[in-house]
Amino acid sequence: MIAPKHILGNFDEALAALRNNVMMMASLTERSLDRALEGLFKRNDDLCANAIADDEEIDQLEKQIDKDGVDILLRYQPVASDLRRVVSAMKLSSNLERMADQATTIARRARKLNRHPPLPEIDLIRPMYEQAMSMFKDSVDAYAREDVDLGRSIVPRDDKLDDLNRAASRKLIQRMAEDPEQLRGYLNLIFIGRCLERVGDHATNIAEDAVYAAAAEDIRHQPFVPSS
Amino acid sequence: MVSLLKMPDSLQQHLRRETNEPPNEPREIAVEIDDVDFAYGAHQVLFDVDLAIPPRAVTAFIGPSGCGKTTLLRCINRMNDLIDGARLTQGSIKIDNVDINAPEVDVVDLRRRVGMVFQKSNPFPKSIYENIAYGLRIAGVKKRRAIDEAVEKSLRAAALWDEVKDRLEKNAFGLSGGQQQRLCIARALAVEPQVVLMDEPCSALDPIATAKIEELIHQLKSEYTIIIVTHNMQQAGRVSDSTAFFYLGRLIEFDATEKIFSNPGEKRTEDYITGRFG
Repeated sequence: MIAPKHILGNFDEALAALRNNVMMMASLTERSLDRALEGLFKRNDDLCANAIADDEEIDQLEKQIDKDGVDILLRYQPVASDLRRVVSAMKLSSNLERMADQATTIARRARKLNRHPPLPEIDLIRPMYEQAMSMFKDSVDAYAREDVDLGRSIVPRDDKLDDLNRAASRKLIQRMAEDPEQLRGYLNLIFIGRCLERVGDHATNIAEDAVYAAAAEDIRHQPFVPSS
Repeated sequence: MVSLLKMPDSLQQHLRRETNEPPNEPREIAVEIDDVDFAYGAHQVLFDVDLAIPPRAVTAFIGPSGCGKTTLLRCINRMNDLIDGARLTQGSIKIDNVDINAPEVDVVDLRRRVGMVFQKSNPFPKSIYENIAYGLRIAGVKKRRAIDEAVEKSLRAAALWDEVKDRLEKNAFGLSGGQQQRLCIARALAVEPQVVLMDEPCSALDPIATAKIEELIHQLKSEYTIIIVTHNMQQAGRVSDSTAFFYLGRLIEFDATEKIFSNPGEKRTEDYITGRFG
């Protein structure tokens, strides 16, 4: 929904700039996660290094969004949907920054794994990666398009990711006992799985913030009720 | 039951939280505005206004200039009677279930029960003491001691006592703008009204004086029903429990202030409070 123009043109510009920075941060975070995971799957250290390098820019964007958000609150004292847009942009940026941190951790672990012979158990990570990234992309989409139904639909999808993570951890712990030689490798994979599980948690937070921004509804910490 | 419909559920819930009232208890209504049309001569300015103002709470009227909010405020103590041709053409306004426009209602008594504070402070050209004693004398209080007590009580209630207690006999015009406005509030409180109407009481004051008046409003609401007209959205957000938004003479939305300013039900309200109007 596009709101009618504000009487103060500057306000609309400030709000648009804030939103653009959030979208920019989201695409950088997506790229960083993709690079980290591709670096793992393709055993490519350059991609891992790129993922780690991306983090700096994302951190700076987080600070910029916080500064701009506070500036808008200070100058314009927005209310209603405008206030929710500012608050949700600031909350999104914090979640995106933490997702990017997960990308950095994954890239570091991937580089360690790349030093050793490949482990077939890496295949346990792929479905988690796909699930986490689809949740992430949809949550950003729900925010960008103010799509309440899409936002709501993301929350229960986190359960599947949690299940995948639990199953993968179980399998990897079992492999550690069977093949103690590769203990460090399996441990790195467990950590990567945990990072992806966190990515899903942050995607859920973003989806909840998207619903709040669009519909002023706080859907956090509630049992899932399918929308009619 | 009709009255309750005019007070949205979210507002009733907010008021219950504020006052720790048990749920499902019907809310009292301080001022019941029922389907009111109002006209200045042939020019109609209010259309079908239905509103139940809760007691011992602050209700803010907001809306662009000319939307009818001040006219409605002035209807509540019949200040509009002073304007030729101004009249209620439909509906009624009730306080304590009595139609204030009924012929048997004594308008002087009504204005004692419904005090008013104006945009520009308007103390009488008398001493601080006399500004407050005047209304009491009109109301028939003769004993000096009773008047002394009421003057102190009202000045304390208006958070002005400590600033003026040593110069009560000095002319009220020597006070600052903010003090003069609080003196006017003290003057309104002296006759122990049920309802206090405030028509942009802070629009001529600096931020510190404004904050003092707002703090005062907050303190007064435990005893009085306060209705405030304001153009300052932030002020409405800060001081009021419920907010009514008017546009072109109609009540567009009435609800708990937190609801109006976080998630209004009407697009016109949202457009107005976010500054996207017209």
